[in-house]
Amino acid sequence: MANASSSMVAAKPTTIYTLAAAVVALMATASYANSKPLDGVTLTIASMNDGFSNVLVKLAPAFKAETGADLKVEIMDYGTLLTKTTADFIGDTKGYDLVTMDIVWAGAYAENKYSVDLTDRVTRDAAELELDDIYPVVLKSLGQYDGKYVAFPLAAYANVLAYRKDLLQAAGLKPPATMEDLVEYAKKLNDPAKKQYGFVANGQKGPAVAQDWMQYNNQLGGSIVTKDGKPALNSEANIKSLAVYKQLFTEAAPPGAIEYDWGGREESFRQGMAAFMQTWSVGAAAYSDPKVSNIVGKVGIAVAPVSKGMTPQYGVGGWGLAINADVDKSKQDAAWTFIKWVSSKKIHKEFNMLGAGGFMRKSEMTDPDLLAKYDFLPVIAETYEHGNGEFRPRIPEYPEIQDLLGTAVNSVLAGATTPKEALDKAQDAAKKLF
Amino acid sequence: MHYSFANRRRLFLFLMATPAVLYVAAVGLWPLAQGIGYSFYKYNLLRPARTQFVGLQNYIDIFSDATTRKAILNTFQFTFFSVGLQLVLGFALALLLWRDSRFNRAVLAFLLIPSTITPLVVGLIFKAMLGADYGIIGYFLSDAGIGPRSGLLTDAGTALWMLILIDCWEWTPLMTLILLAGLKSLPGDVLEAGQVDGATAWQRFRLLILPLMLPSVFLALTLRTMDAFRVFDSVFVTTGGGPDDATNTLMLLGVKEGLQFFNVGFASAVGNVTLLFIALIATMLLLVVRRADVRINGK
Repeated sequence: MANASSSMVAAKPTTIYTLAAAVVALMATASYANSKPLDGVTLTIASMNDGFSNVLVKLAPAFKAETGADLKVEIMDYGTLLTKTTADFIGDTKGYDLVTMDIVWAGAYAENKYSVDLTDRVTRDAAELELDDIYPVVLKSLGQYDGKYVAFPLAAYANVLAYRKDLLQAAGLKPPATMEDLVEYAKKLNDPAKKQYGFVANGQKGPAVAQDWMQYNNQLGGSIVTKDGKPALNSEANIKSLAVYKQLFTEAAPPGAIEYDWGGREESFRQGMAAFMQTWSVGAAAYSDPKVSNIVGKVGIAVAPVSKGMTPQYGVGGWGLAINADVDKSKQDAAWTFIKWVSSKKIHKEFNMLGAGGFMRKSEMTDPDLLAKYDFLPVIAETYEHGNGEFRPRIPEYPEIQDLLGTAVNSVLAGATTPKEALDKAQDAAKKLF
Repeated sequence: MHYSFANRRRLFLFLMATPAVLYVAAVGLWPLAQGIGYSFYKYNLLRPARTQFVGLQNYIDIFSDATTRKAILNTFQFTFFSVGLQLVLGFALALLLWRDSRFNRAVLAFLLIPSTITPLVVGLIFKAMLGADYGIIGYFLSDAGIGPRSGLLTDAGTALWMLILIDCWEWTPLMTLILLAGLKSLPGDVLEAGQVDGATAWQRFRLLILPLMLPSVFLALTLRTMDAFRVFDSVFVTTGGGPDDATNTLMLLGVKEGLQFFNVGFASAVGNVTLLFIALIATMLLLVVRRADVRINGK
């Protein structure tokens, strides 16, 4: 017994050391095998509060599982996002690694070099990104400025016409093929006695009315800047289109539409007050949701009509993802990994299946799962085929121009001035910005 | 080296005051000086390369531009009518609540509720109520053809007046509270003497209460005027300065220029002009009240 015991004691250290070494080696190998390239990295995104923002939150665990990086999504409204991110860029405070960039901020981002120029990365990883699968208009307007990538597309929106199938059918009308038809039908379907109105759009002073009018202006042949990028707010075509917009408000819109922003406009349509509404495709899925909509099954989506004789061109908008130029190289690389991941075919489909509403890949337009959920995808595809992402000028001076138009158009709708007077005044102010 | 007691005391007091002086200098004077400095520049944070010294140009623009002039006029109109109405209503309510009873104390507590709500929320509540399509008030008004069809907050003729009424709804209780505190501290013997001498209620109000209340009135007017002149939240959420420029105010303009367009130079000039106006109004109020005091009380 004593011998056996002593032999065990003698053998113990070697055995134990060998075993321990084996275990450590095993653990190290296992831990190496489990380690992810971005372990310990946290990426902070400043995100617009839109259809995609909560989807980003939902996708964060999957990104962590795949890469090891934590994703912190800070969701804020449009004004706060602009203010906070600009302050972050100017102050070099590195608060955000990634920023959702509205299409119209591209000029300011490029001029001030707020974001990392992604051109080389996009060229290098073109195959992985499957660029051919992304609509050219989306790549250009949601990512590029002057040929360089200031951001990469995240969620593209198509400007479409939502209409009430039941009302049109009852009146024996087909969806409008031209803007002239739209105006005529809107007036025809307007019946204030029944609280049924022909049309609804944003009327609220500021970005809301400016952006909606710019959509109509584009389809009526107007343009905010000349071909060489100079302001042309009071062009003949713009004055005419503003008169049409005013006419629609006076003769076919709900009385309170002059104070509607996007939320008010959508709510009024979902409540069944209006027959026609131009809108970003991101809101279209909500018309079929009985929890928020009174018009389930009664809504059709069509391409937004243009004026008679005009070459079709439809409004494209949405959000890109930009990498803060102030963050260090390793963070930039991690952020680029996220961009590639979220825009990849597989994840971007998931992104839209979860309700982000930002379709941008050609393959998404024919995907059976997505089509089963969103039957209006062919309309979005056609919009992108003839898309125009420049109808809101993506120049550094855009915020001020939008503000000038926001006041001018609102004052016309309020009856305080005429389209010509209002746009002349806005043009004078706009010229000072250049 | 020997310091006298007086010198040591002076040094001690100086040292005691230093933190406060430093604090005021850091958070008050330094930013103010910076703001005055910036206002002489065309300085936009989004276009820092284009910064240039423009002297008084920002101030000239404020007074020559139609939009800014309208904002100044609106701010004065808003301040004058809302504070004026609040003074009259507040005084009337304070007189009604003067007698110390359980009922009056309960009424006062309820009366103060509007002033405890943040102005932004008040704006949103009124916007929701006055909307022509869904508002609990606006819908019926629009339906009955009373007021503008598009709602009281959307018409250039009514929007500013509605904002004045909203401000009165919210801040009259505060005015009442300040004036009530003044009434409660009036010397009882003087008022009783007036009553014994056979003065009518109106005579007592005009000849006794009003003169004695002048310091409280001055305090209430100054506080509310300074506040009303800086009105922002309720206007921002209800009308955004519209329709057209009908409800644009100086603070709205300053915030838009500074935080939306990052136009630091012009926004600083707007801020300085606002500050100057407030200082002038406060001085004017002081002079008016002092003159009234001399006229009425002879001192």
